[in-house]
Amino acid sequence: MKATIERATLLKSLSHVQSVVERRNTIPILSNVLIEAGEDGSLRFMATDLDLQIVETMSASAVETAGSITVSAHTLFEIARKLPEGSEVLLDAADGKMLVKAGRSRFSLPTLPRDDFPMIAEGDLPTSFELPAAELVNLIEKTRFAISTEETRYYLNGIFLHVADDDDRAVLKAAATDGHRLARVTLDRPDGADGMPDVIVPRKCVAELHKLLGERGDKNVLIDLSASKIRFTMGSAILTSKLIDGTFPDYSRVIPTGNDKLLKIDPKALQASVDRVATIASEKTRAVKMALDTDKITLSVTSPENGTAAEEVSGDYKSDGFEIGFNARYLLDILAEVASDSVELHLADASAPTLIRENEKSEALYVLMPMRV
Amino acid sequence: MFHAYGAAMSDEAESDALQRKIIHIDMDAFFASVEQRDHPELRGKPVAVGGSSKRGVVAAASYEARKFGVKSAMPSVTAQRRCPDLIFVKHRFEVYREVSRQIREIFAEHTDLIEPLSLDEAYLDVTDDKQDIGSATLIAEAIRARIREVTRLTASAGVSYNKFIAKIASDQNKPDGICVIPPRHGPAFVASLPVRRFHGVGPRTGEKMARLGIETGADLAGKNEQWLCEKFGSWGGYLYLAARGIDHREVKPNRIRKSIGGERTYGEDKWTEAELREALDAVVDIVWERIEKNEARGRTVTLKMKFADFVQITRARSLDRWVKDKREFSEIGHVLLGDQIPVEKGVRLMGITLSALEGVDDEEGEDEVEETTPVQPAFEF
Repeated sequence: MKATIERATLLKSLSHVQSVVERRNTIPILSNVLIEAGEDGSLRFMATDLDLQIVETMSASAVETAGSITVSAHTLFEIARKLPEGSEVLLDAADGKMLVKAGRSRFSLPTLPRDDFPMIAEGDLPTSFELPAAELVNLIEKTRFAISTEETRYYLNGIFLHVADDDDRAVLKAAATDGHRLARVTLDRPDGADGMPDVIVPRKCVAELHKLLGERGDKNVLIDLSASKIRFTMGSAILTSKLIDGTFPDYSRVIPTGNDKLLKIDPKALQASVDRVATIASEKTRAVKMALDTDKITLSVTSPENGTAAEEVSGDYKSDGFEIGFNARYLLDILAEVASDSVELHLADASAPTLIRENEKSEALYVLMPMRV
Repeated sequence: MFHAYGAAMSDEAESDALQRKIIHIDMDAFFASVEQRDHPELRGKPVAVGGSSKRGVVAAASYEARKFGVKSAMPSVTAQRRCPDLIFVKHRFEVYREVSRQIREIFAEHTDLIEPLSLDEAYLDVTDDKQDIGSATLIAEAIRARIREVTRLTASAGVSYNKFIAKIASDQNKPDGICVIPPRHGPAFVASLPVRRFHGVGPRTGEKMARLGIETGADLAGKNEQWLCEKFGSWGGYLYLAARGIDHREVKPNRIRKSIGGERTYGEDKWTEAELREALDAVVDIVWERIEKNEARGRTVTLKMKFADFVQITRARSLDRWVKDKREFSEIGHVLLGDQIPVEKGVRLMGITLSALEGVDDEEGEDEVEETTPVQPAFEF
């Protein structure tokens, strides 16, 4: 294999693929990126961690000899990063080495044969639909913070996607929860998603997808999936992931429907207040107490080590006064996702799940379990 | 008693300075055997140690009971169904702890590298044994003989060159048996094992392996690491090495104790203040005895409660000095309990713990220093 590629193109492509590669690997070939130079003048980069695979195709400046090879993804990325802007990079693989040459720099990297490089067998992906990249970004940002990191509950380590019919409206829903908070987004069901299996998209795939989508603007993303695999096609980049093999809990059961105490408040003001009083909260629990009174909310924190803090915020509240506690971080995570100038908190009592949303029409909905303070 | 594979490992182990000699000692049906030793009328009968109440579980079963399929950790109700003549006896942890202390003294005559796994089980690294016996097999036999002499109980031993194989070997000729797996037989021994005997392979993984055509260690050894990682995730690396009889884990002596505590699950949920206070007194009695036995001093008292819906809370209080005596320990427990009364849900379990112990790094003790901690409950899916 012998090909030349512009440094900027190489760097962009490698920055995508190298983040899929795990930093520490027991299997050497998994540290490598597969590079394929085609007769048609294309260069294909591919990386995998056995659960997630990315393939990105770029145009080379020139392909002298078609062929393929694998080299350390991180090393090649670091080299590309440090090469001067505007350089043309020669990649020349021969005799178990790959020569990287640009300007006056020369590197010789060890290689592993391409035949040892594992590929995820996609199998049949019967469900196929498209979503605008911006809509997918929105879906991810409004749910990903609630994904659990607890490995014992692996079935919560991703975003749950499923189709449903809400009062005759055909929808696609995305949900994530860590058992303390739940985030859900409801979208109109895209054409082709009818009858799709319920799937749980793993956290790492979500993170990589989010990075790639940032560069897609308003263009569409093609999504193909089966019960065990999902593939996102974004122009020159294709991300394929295994899905989490587990059952997502029936989360609809924790969404309260009868919470009769309504607080309407400016999310930015509440966010700033919570953030200020939380300065005092202990790092471990981050508990903030919220005392509700007619049109007056008092936030307070008491910490045996750090002292106390209190702040009043005005809001629209007409029900009986009471006190409730929340984890400040959880509350801030949710408030950060509310873009409008009003947010609704539907409360029941100090120990019941609280529903948070912009209004009854908003596509995103959050449920937060209060803390006992 | 017989030696599997015949060979003592000393001859060739000594030729390789890097080869370790590991013994895994495991008492036979420990709790049940102690009860049969002390109560002659129980000998030869199916005995289970543990509560026979609705929520009780079997802590240990005698070999007579095991023939009926009674196993430890089985609900008592199930055990009674499998073996109608099963005799339940109450556990006497003080006695078991005393025996445990005796056997650890015996181990200490041979090595200081002792890693207890529980009261009745330990790994010993005898690569450099104190008495210069040199042969791990002879040391294991000496330990077994001495345990029998001192405690009138039997133990089984596994002797090999790493923890993984030693542990499997101790189970090989149970009860009252020994099994020696020298390095040159290690791979063949592992190859012959059903995968279910591998540490960590439970019924579900076992089933998955069977579906993939893996029944024995040999089948496992036939797969490459990449394949194993694809099928079993990060665990694949362990399986790859284990299937080749490789295990580099060291014997780790003397884990530092960070807390001393105990808890009780109740047959009937407790509701009233009188019931709860009485129940707390009972746990305090047991735990304080443990604290005295360990001659421990600590600054933090933690009360744990589990409710009928399995939601669990802990409440802690720390002093800037040692908790002075049982009365103070009990008082703090009762104050923490008082904050929870009246309870909104029945209480199915209560426990109390002393932590921030003397001798434990202050930095780690610091974790415990928190007044009544706010608790983040979870959704009930």
